[in-house]
Amino acid sequence: MSSSKLLHGKQALITGASKGIGAQMVKSFAEAGANIIACTRSPSDLMQKRMEDLSNVYGVEIQVLCFDLLDEYAIKQAMRVLYSNKTRVDILINNAGIMTTSLLGMTSLESFKSTFQINFFSAVQITQSISKLMMKQGHGVIINLGSIAGLDNFAGYAAYGSSKAALIQFTRILANELAPYGIRSNAIAPALVETDMAEKMGPKAAEGIFARSATKRITRPEEIANAAVFLASEKSSFINGQTIRIDGGM
Amino acid sequence: MNNIEKYAHVFCNIFEIKHEQLLDLKYQDILAWDSVGHMAMIASIEEVFDVMMETDDIVDFSSYEKGMRILTERYNVQF
Repeated sequence: MSSSKLLHGKQALITGASKGIGAQMVKSFAEAGANIIACTRSPSDLMQKRMEDLSNVYGVEIQVLCFDLLDEYAIKQAMRVLYSNKTRVDILINNAGIMTTSLLGMTSLESFKSTFQINFFSAVQITQSISKLMMKQGHGVIINLGSIAGLDNFAGYAAYGSSKAALIQFTRILANELAPYGIRSNAIAPALVETDMAEKMGPKAAEGIFARSATKRITRPEEIANAAVFLASEKSSFINGQTIRIDGGM
Repeated sequence: MNNIEKYAHVFCNIFEIKHEQLLDLKYQDILAWDSVGHMAMIASIEEVFDVMMETDDIVDFSSYEKGMRILTERYNVQF
């Protein structure tokens, strides 16, 4: 097996797979030989076509699973589908997230709640189900997409940063709780990544982050996906409970 | 194996206990049935009976007998 097929025969479930980091994850994981359950909110012909293309290029199976992360019942139903199909999940990537930026006094409680629902509670719910599948298998890898905003104290990130901090701490606790079942859990904390989300933040926010960065450039999605492939692979077999910053040096 | 035998087998297998110990067995009565053992037992129950248990039911699953009741009432497993 070539070193580029680090995940040959593995099956990965990736949330937020339709765009941004998630779309790149699907590509990089397919390239590494993994079969993929690509989760997205709603079906689209474009995404279906993209998945078919990747499947053909890399010779892996890619299944699209649609559910809304704001809807607890929909998440439960999606997990039931996996259970009833006796789906194996070797790698779970809780990638989906939304970015909200506003000063505390201008952030509604509703905004806090919806940010936490998507960035944190949905990941908790999915992890509760998938970790049980992994326990039965006796192995598994969980990778949660944190953010440097969950580690550092940027103004304007009270909701987003707090939700990512919760996810990072959740990861550390999972690492401890699930290790006896052969499950490793790690988080990735990227800086600003070249995605639609970053574009929406506008140039000012980006400049502030670049000013603190040693490399003075935006992170490319593949730089996040490469770290995820490594963390999902046996090459990182003793890495557990860690948060890897990918920020070009801050 | 019928369902009650399968159910008992999960307990005996996961907790490494004898059949005679099962009837009055409660959560944390034995060292093996701690929180880690509990989750391993639940994973095995789900596998054997092909169900996906709700978190509330996992928490309520406090004894050998209560587990049977939950499986019957909530997941239609007949004993």
